[in-house]
Amino acid sequence: MAEPAYLVASDSETTGEEKSSSPFPDIAIGIDIGTSQCSVAVWSGSQVELVRNTRNQKLMRSYVTFKDEIPAGGVSNQLAHEYEMLSGAAIFNMKRLIGRVDTDPVVHASKSLPFLVQTLNIGVRPFIAALVKNMWRSTTPEEVLAIFLVELRAMAEVQLKRPVRNVVLTIPVSFSRFQITRIERACAMAGLQVLRLMPEPTAVALLYAQQQQQSVHENMGSGSEKIALIFNMGAGFCDVAVTATAGGVSQIKALAGTALGGEDILLNMMRHLLPDMDTHFSTRGIDEIRRMGLLRVATQDAIHKLSSQSSVQIDVDLGNGRKISKALGREEFEDVNWEIFEKCESLIKQCLHDAKVEVEDISDVILVGGCSNIPKLRNIITGVCKREIYNGINPLEAAVRGAALEGAVASGVNDPFGSLDLLTIQATPLSIGVRADGNSFVPIIHQNTTMPVRRDVIFTTVHDNQAEALIIVYEGDEKAMEKNHLLGYFKITGIPPALKGVPEINVCMDIDASNVLRVFAGVVMPGVQNPAGPVMEVRMPTVDDGHGWCAEALNRTYGSTLDLVTVQKKGAH
Amino acid sequence: MLSSFSCHQQFSRPNSLQTRPHFNLKNPVWWRRRQNSVVVVRCGRNEVEESKNYYELLGVCVDASSQEIKDAYRKLQKKYHPDIAGEKGHESTLMLNKAYKVLVKDDLRKQYDASIGKISNNLRIGSIWEGSLRSQALFVDENACIGCRECVHHAGNTFMMDEGFGTARVKVQYGDDEERIEISVDSCPVNCIHWVDTEELEVLEYLIQPQPKVGYGIYGQGWERPANVFMAAKSFNKQLKQQEENQQRSKSTDEEETPAQSQARESAYRELKVGRFARIWSWMKRSTGQ
Repeated sequence: MAEPAYLVASDSETTGEEKSSSPFPDIAIGIDIGTSQCSVAVWSGSQVELVRNTRNQKLMRSYVTFKDEIPAGGVSNQLAHEYEMLSGAAIFNMKRLIGRVDTDPVVHASKSLPFLVQTLNIGVRPFIAALVKNMWRSTTPEEVLAIFLVELRAMAEVQLKRPVRNVVLTIPVSFSRFQITRIERACAMAGLQVLRLMPEPTAVALLYAQQQQQSVHENMGSGSEKIALIFNMGAGFCDVAVTATAGGVSQIKALAGTALGGEDILLNMMRHLLPDMDTHFSTRGIDEIRRMGLLRVATQDAIHKLSSQSSVQIDVDLGNGRKISKALGREEFEDVNWEIFEKCESLIKQCLHDAKVEVEDISDVILVGGCSNIPKLRNIITGVCKREIYNGINPLEAAVRGAALEGAVASGVNDPFGSLDLLTIQATPLSIGVRADGNSFVPIIHQNTTMPVRRDVIFTTVHDNQAEALIIVYEGDEKAMEKNHLLGYFKITGIPPALKGVPEINVCMDIDASNVLRVFAGVVMPGVQNPAGPVMEVRMPTVDDGHGWCAEALNRTYGSTLDLVTVQKKGAH
Repeated sequence: MLSSFSCHQQFSRPNSLQTRPHFNLKNPVWWRRRQNSVVVVRCGRNEVEESKNYYELLGVCVDASSQEIKDAYRKLQKKYHPDIAGEKGHESTLMLNKAYKVLVKDDLRKQYDASIGKISNNLRIGSIWEGSLRSQALFVDENACIGCRECVHHAGNTFMMDEGFGTARVKVQYGDDEERIEISVDSCPVNCIHWVDTEELEVLEYLIQPQPKVGYGIYGQGWERPANVFMAAKSFNKQLKQQEENQQRSKSTDEEETPAQSQARESAYRELKVGRFARIWSWMKRSTGQ
């Protein structure tokens, strides 16, 4: 490629002022990068409007095709047919692949996609390639996402007639901070500055807060607190949030999420219809890819139809003498996917439990995302929450609209009619802590803590005259430390010689409103005023791509020589 | 369970007014995130905010309902949250979040109330002892206090300001080391910090509380406290002694009374004549029983 389709914007470029004729030059736009569809919205001065592409679409397919050497994304490119996307030349589902290592089950599930996903199962990034003129051309999820974001940015700049730089992005609840850095890298490659990241259901919560506040204004009613449960299930992820809303302030009480979505339902159904699918398509020739595309499209159609009708007839000719002809009932569909639906139900219950909210306290239940039409899902939610589903929100546009509202609020825009008199108070989706007390995960900031937050815990040494200590930072809520995400590590050196348990090693974590995590660590000797030696300040995550194995390497090299234990004080909680 | 040092200090030591006790005491500098001018301003304001208790921070009264606390929190967040106030709102929002987290949960709020010596039912709980009881205790004569804050400045874990009355008060006996306490006593420009006998302390702390004064119409209402608290304490003790003697005398003279009669008469007597003293009795019983 002679000219790159995107520009790499360096971090130092952030001070560049851009002239604009628009009345709101610096308003951040909201972008919802979905696994399957993307959308852009912006505060227009009186309301949120979705930005349309040249084909007048508000929702654009998330993919980038490499068929003519020059990549083209779903914003500008017109698909002649769905099969074109499934020809192997297009990369999609970037959001499910970004920031994952090749031991991740989600990456393994992606191996049945038409493009190439190769895994070595050693904890490095998977190899991803698109089929270009019968050759596998390698790329990365970040690159694909960046190309796509460049198209989104260009579209927004044309429509808004101003440069676009700041964005508010929606992300799945279950995204680790490492995955977020990959998203931010893709944005930087596309010349976009991430102003705020919002877990998808919290963006919906903000939109709901605005609606509630407007209805209070209109009815002159009392602005009492309303509890809402938001369930969001798209193609790649399933998220739940519980929010307490009053006076335009949405306070997130709890979040829960997992990487389960319509893709998993689709894959289950494809396997159900063609049980030997994996061996059938293992050679990955052009014919196999085409057949896989046929099956995928037929299955997708059937699933969509089952939302409105109780059974559907599937007829696909896969060639090579293979033909699938089957009547598929809704019950069968629900049986095949029972595990997914069960997981959804348990996520909702867990989120309500974490929020310490009783079902009777819920005012509204909001269902959004591409899977929101599945009857089984609606039944589960109405069953658990004992409420009808709130119908004041467009399930496919809610997240991006909320992101645009946050973009306007965080850009300092005021609305004379009070439509932007809003605030979202976010909570941490995952716990963050360090390895200590042997091989355990000791959380410092717990899950569902209101942000911004600063917490500290005192640790101490485990060996006499231990001069150094290793601080390994993890994120997650799994009991087994290895199952959590490694964010980074650093060493504290120069601990004055002392018996074990004497030096106080203070580890403090600070998350600001833009979700930046800083880890501070310093040593204080008892009876001394100042810390022994300079204090460390580390912005996390520090791990780079493909370092899924570095915790293991640290363990092998240092064992327990640089370990820490928490200080147990009597009377402590 | 994980033992968080900061939590420990926050709730088991009563000096929760300093919300980052460890670092405030030992290394106040290394937290400040960036060495630019904004930080200096931010720190300056923090110092003020950290000297407030959680109720003052949220601008609610100590008896506020959880709804009032929630409303106040949301209102303040709308002003100070970094989404609205920019990066300079970070520190304020941390404080708000910390205060809200404690006050919105009943159990944490109770612990916190105990730690700050909340004024409940018009009965202010006196100072708390750090460590074992000693024979001498600190007492601030709030009548003389001019609210200069010198003592709070020198021994912030021992003294606190009552913002309502603008006077200093002992919150923790021996909350700081002796040297700091010595300095703070010496630093008082009006010499209103007294070393008193521990037995006298409770009576003094009770009497120094302003009592509602009955007015005539709209005139003369308000709060009053004895002009000389030490004299008042003496006469109070005297009255107490007399009261005890009276009771014993009455017991010895009316021996024919049934126990129920005696009980009823005694309680009526107490209610009628020594209502005001009964309150301190019950309070002292409660506080010693605790």
